[in-house]
Amino acid sequence: MSRLRLLEHDEAPLAARTIYAADGTASALKRSLANAPDILETLLPFLGQIFDEGAVDLTTKELVVVRVSRLNACAYCLASHRPIALESGLPEQHVAAICDERPLDLLPDRERTIVEWVDAYVLDPGGISDELVARVLDHLRDDQLVELAVLIGATALLNHYCTAFDIPAGG
Amino acid sequence: MGTSLSQGVEEGRCGDRLWLYATYHCNLACVYCLTESRPGIANRRTLSRETMVALAEEARELGFGALGVTGGETFMLSDFPETLADLGRVLPTVALTNGTLFTDRVLDRLAVLAELDVALQISLDSAEPARNDEWRGPENFAKVVATVPRLVERGLRVRIATTVDDQTDDELERLCELHRSWGVGDDDHLVRSIVRRGRAALEELGVEPGPTDILPELTITADGAFLHPFAPTVRHGVTDLDLLVARQVRPLQAALDRFLRIVAHQPAGTDVVRNIR
Ligand code: SF4
Repeated sequence: MSRLRLLEHDEAPLAARTIYAADGTASALKRSLANAPDILETLLPFLGQIFDEGAVDLTTKELVVVRVSRLNACAYCLASHRPIALESGLPEQHVAAICDERPLDLLPDRERTIVEWVDAYVLDPGGISDELVARVLDHLRDDQLVELAVLIGATALLNHYCTAFDIPAGG
Repeated sequence: MGTSLSQGVEEGRCGDRLWLYATYHCNLACVYCLTESRPGIANRRTLSRETMVALAEEARELGFGALGVTGGETFMLSDFPETLADLGRVLPTVALTNGTLFTDRVLDRLAVLAELDVALQISLDSAEPARNDEWRGPENFAKVVATVPRLVERGLRVRIATTVDDQTDDELERLCELHRSWGVGDDDHLVRSIVRRGRAALEELGVEPGPTDILPELTITADGAFLHPFAPTVRHGVTDLDLLVARQVRPLQAALDRFLRIVAHQPAGTDVVRNIR
């Protein structure tokens, strides 16, 4: 049971109704965010920019989103992003590896290095070595690393929100 | 550039009165109460005197022309007579009250309002005590009838507000005779239907307001900024959010900007039906 009201289209503030589809449906996450239309006004465009393809391709972004959601044990975000990760082109075995259901060795060098850097960024940012940064920069430019760092933050924000408020997966 | 407040008012899209919900607490529990106000209410959603005065001052700077204070029962707040005087010094103000809490001490504290552009709007639904009290609670009629002449005597401006359910024309006419006998003119008698929101919706009372039936007037409560004073209603203890404009109410400019963005999409002009007011 969600700990926040999940507003249906007709209960939602006028300014928040644009987030609902034409048939009046919206994800449980969006229906909870509709309680705070002022926040929604800046949060949704922000998330749109961060999660959409940018300087980093969508497949790499989904690899990062699923890994962060796994580290934060967010059932809602894993349920939403595992299918998106597959759709974006990540092979099923790689998704399973990112979710710790298969060995991480299955991942190619680039993906494995990114996962290593993501783990350190989330779990021990102060312990990241120059050597790890150099290795990840063999695969990504500085600006791409900035984009992924902000993506990690945005994903963690949603992970904590959905878990703390018990937003129902698939709701 | 979006619509400005003055442009919105000129085009008939909105009013220039800022409404403040002082509290949702009340000593009565009327059957049609839109806010489920009652004596034991758990969440009183009170605005402090400092907040109300600060909002009033911001409102004047932003071009609002008047204030309205409502609830709940405004006089449940122990410092409301002084708050009302503070507000009346900023802008012309009308305060809605059920008129049942005016002790001699409160009347003395209200004396200063006679010098200010402040009106007290008191609810009275019938000239028949039993009929009025059926909606508004036991002894309500007697208390209001005892209070209004004492307010008028002290030079305070009183308006009478009547919520119509099934009153006959004769019954309303007798009510008009009563308020005229107190020196309250017809211009100061407001008659409106029960709006079917909040508790009135649960009781299936009144009329369902259409999207353009109620003139938008920015309304501030402890829950946020709403489209008009009939918007921040309550059902089963939970505030209706369908007409919420913004959660952030200060600076008032931010809430006003969001309000004006919404009213810019509403029909304008004199052909708009405004039934409820
Ligand atoms: S209608 Fe007014 S007087 Fe009656 S319970 Fe509600 S706030 Fe109190």
